[in-house]
Amino acid sequence: MPKKIVKGQELSQPARASARVLKRLYVREIPDEEKPAEALKWLDYYRKDRRSLVMAMESCVKCGVCANECHAYLGTKDPNNIPAGRADLMRKVYKRYFTVQGRLFGNLVGAEDITMDTLEKWFSYYYQCTECRRCGHVCPFGIDTCEVTMAGREILWGIGMIPDLQGAASAAVYERGNQGNMTKQALIETHDFLSDEIEEERGFRMEFPVDKPNSDILYVPSSADYLLNPETLKGACQFFEYVGANWTISSHMTEAGNFGLLTEQHSVQRELVERLWRTVAELGIKKIVFGECGHGWRAWKMYTPTLTDYAIAGSGYDYHNRVPIVHIHDEVAAYVKMGKLKLNPRDNRLAPVGKSITLHDPCNYCRACNLIQNLRVNLYASVPEVREMTPNGEKNFCCGGGSAVLYDDPEMYELRGKFSLKKVEQIKATGADILCAPCSICKAQFYGVLKEYHHLDIPIQGLIDFVGAALVFKGHRQI
Amino acid sequence: MELFVGKILPYITVALLLGGITWRIWRWMIGRIVHNITLSPFPSSWGAAVAWILWQIVSFWNIFKFDKPLWVGAWTMHVALASIFGGHVLGIATLGNQFHLLLPWIVTEAQSEAASNALGTTFGLIFLVALLYLLYRRFAVEKVRVISAPSDYLHLLLLILIVGVGDYMRVFHAVAVEYEAARDFMLGLILFHPGPMPVIHETGLINWYFFVHFLAVQIMLIIFPFSKLMHPFGILWNRWIYNRPYPEPPMGLPGVKLKL
Amino acid sequence: MAMINIGGKQVEVDEDGFIQDPEIWDEELAKGIAPLEEVNELTEDHWKVVRYIREYYLRTGVAPMIRMLCKNSGFTLKQIYELFPTGPAKGACKIAGLPKPTGCV
Repeated sequence: MPKKIVKGQELSQPARASARVLKRLYVREIPDEEKPAEALKWLDYYRKDRRSLVMAMESCVKCGVCANECHAYLGTKDPNNIPAGRADLMRKVYKRYFTVQGRLFGNLVGAEDITMDTLEKWFSYYYQCTECRRCGHVCPFGIDTCEVTMAGREILWGIGMIPDLQGAASAAVYERGNQGNMTKQALIETHDFLSDEIEEERGFRMEFPVDKPNSDILYVPSSADYLLNPETLKGACQFFEYVGANWTISSHMTEAGNFGLLTEQHSVQRELVERLWRTVAELGIKKIVFGECGHGWRAWKMYTPTLTDYAIAGSGYDYHNRVPIVHIHDEVAAYVKMGKLKLNPRDNRLAPVGKSITLHDPCNYCRACNLIQNLRVNLYASVPEVREMTPNGEKNFCCGGGSAVLYDDPEMYELRGKFSLKKVEQIKATGADILCAPCSICKAQFYGVLKEYHHLDIPIQGLIDFVGAALVFKGHRQI
Repeated sequence: MELFVGKILPYITVALLLGGITWRIWRWMIGRIVHNITLSPFPSSWGAAVAWILWQIVSFWNIFKFDKPLWVGAWTMHVALASIFGGHVLGIATLGNQFHLLLPWIVTEAQSEAASNALGTTFGLIFLVALLYLLYRRFAVEKVRVISAPSDYLHLLLLILIVGVGDYMRVFHAVAVEYEAARDFMLGLILFHPGPMPVIHETGLINWYFFVHFLAVQIMLIIFPFSKLMHPFGILWNRWIYNRPYPEPPMGLPGVKLKL
Repeated sequence: MAMINIGGKQVEVDEDGFIQDPEIWDEELAKGIAPLEEVNELTEDHWKVVRYIREYYLRTGVAPMIRMLCKNSGFTLKQIYELFPTGPAKGACKIAGLPKPTGCV
């Protein structure tokens, strides 16, 4: 990717999706000279559609509280990475075209015309935001720059400026119902392999049912687990087998993540929502349990009810008649709190006695989905020693890869490293031996940068991995 | 000049202020709260959510937690602003008798006026110092300077002008405006029968300090609905989106052998 | 969309150098791609990994799970990184002619 230079400033941008990928996404790339006008139309649309965007555009007083609370600014010291500065990239245009002060006074109030340079900047900086919402948490007005980033990315999507990573993953969603291009054959072969591993470890076999009709529970793992996180799949399987569930994994909808939330909510996010409800109707599912994925859990928990605007069995117009959507850690925590799971933290294959574990709170769990307590319930019950990071919980810093800025082109990779500086500082301060990151993006980010960029060699595991390994089975089944 | 600023502009100002605020809020309400994007940990009920929002407004809690040097300036400035706003309304309406009217059996009329004067001067000076501190911060702290637009400085300078002139009239008695004069002038405006602006006693000429003070306040009120000064309303409308309860679905898996 | 010359053949690749049409892959092409991924010579060990990935891809349509790759090819992850310095997901898959893995990887 040749560096774009705007007004003497070099911009780091992710690789763009090729025409071939755009075609698979049903996106028409607009010629450069028409892009600014088209982008403005989209901005006008989103400002009328979303109050969160209007409020973010109109309430900021530039107090600067957010600056030192954003890992992106702390790592890069780039003013456009201050949340208020990042939102200002759009706010300048918004002021110029949609406010009285901007129309009358222009530059004096910081308003600016929209040009191709503006859009190139958007493409750079809206893909340097990890949508972690820490700025929303610290802002005295509660302005959530994540909403601005989302709108910015959607506008760019509308004019055909899409990063290759998000584009290819979304195309895979349209074609196969997951971001990793998994096929049913791949699921079955991977499951077989994992069943063999469980048999070796436990002495008896557990199967992963795929597309089993008349199942009660649909487990939706993150598709990245099939490439990188075997223990996460095994952990979930062992939990379901332990409680004796009639569960299944669907090959039609094998994605706990949803990049649509982060880049394009109208069609990509909807596609997975629709696939979910079709699967629920086909397999007779009574409860949907989602696996470890941070932003995905936010998409499913908070967005699915409002995105489901069509009638399909199970989706239920009335919230209480809908097939419930829950997270595996909420369910496990409910069992742990009732003392129904026999977990032995002193005999954990993944966390031997003497090793300490630190928990990285995925941003979307702790600032959007209320999972802080339950993650800890599960972790403390399954590992010998926990060392908390400071700050943690809802004040936690992002891993630096949030919203899938997992680019590996050199400049963006460098930025990923810088974004995670704060996190690495936190991990090192705990002195823990194992890092627990219950989110696929966090895992991918840590696999990618900790060792290579920060020279920090620390094993990375999900949380359900530890739960699965700590479960004490009596023979084949607990009951 | 005096005719326009003292007798015509105030009506335009009030119309623009009220109309502007209504218009701006109407614009905010066009967009929907599409999804539940509340920040967790979720408030347990609507009552808790409203209490949290009010607590944020009263204490500037987030600024206190994350940026103490700013809190010292911002919170002090807003408290002084609120006191002075209240003092202007009550003090002028009751001729400095507000404390006497509030607690007639404890505070005498003379004590009330003395307290009103003392408090007004104190908060006026605190207000000015806090504003200067915020202006200095905007220049000196890099993270704030780089995100500031010219208007951010101008808003502060306008406030400093208003407060500076106000304080000057308070501190130097020769140019002070007495409660009666201020009340008569304001009453005239309210009753749609505007009278002349307060004058300086010694010379009998128009009090230009008051003129500047009064004009600057009107300018501020006119730009209020069209600028970031709308933030006291913004915080309500914005936090309404982000601080709301969320009903969690009940736990327990269907059809399992090991029931909760 | 870029075209690169590998072993005298014009091949269409994406931004990261993954070949666009997995059908055209053959062993000659693999030898041509290898130097781009810091693999100077494809030894028998390399071929073992590449063939396993290729076979798995033709059967299932995706790259195998890293752990599965290690176990079934008989190498540890460290050894695989020694063979393919840019890693299994990037280097080995590229040489085996797979499209770039997508999603959270």
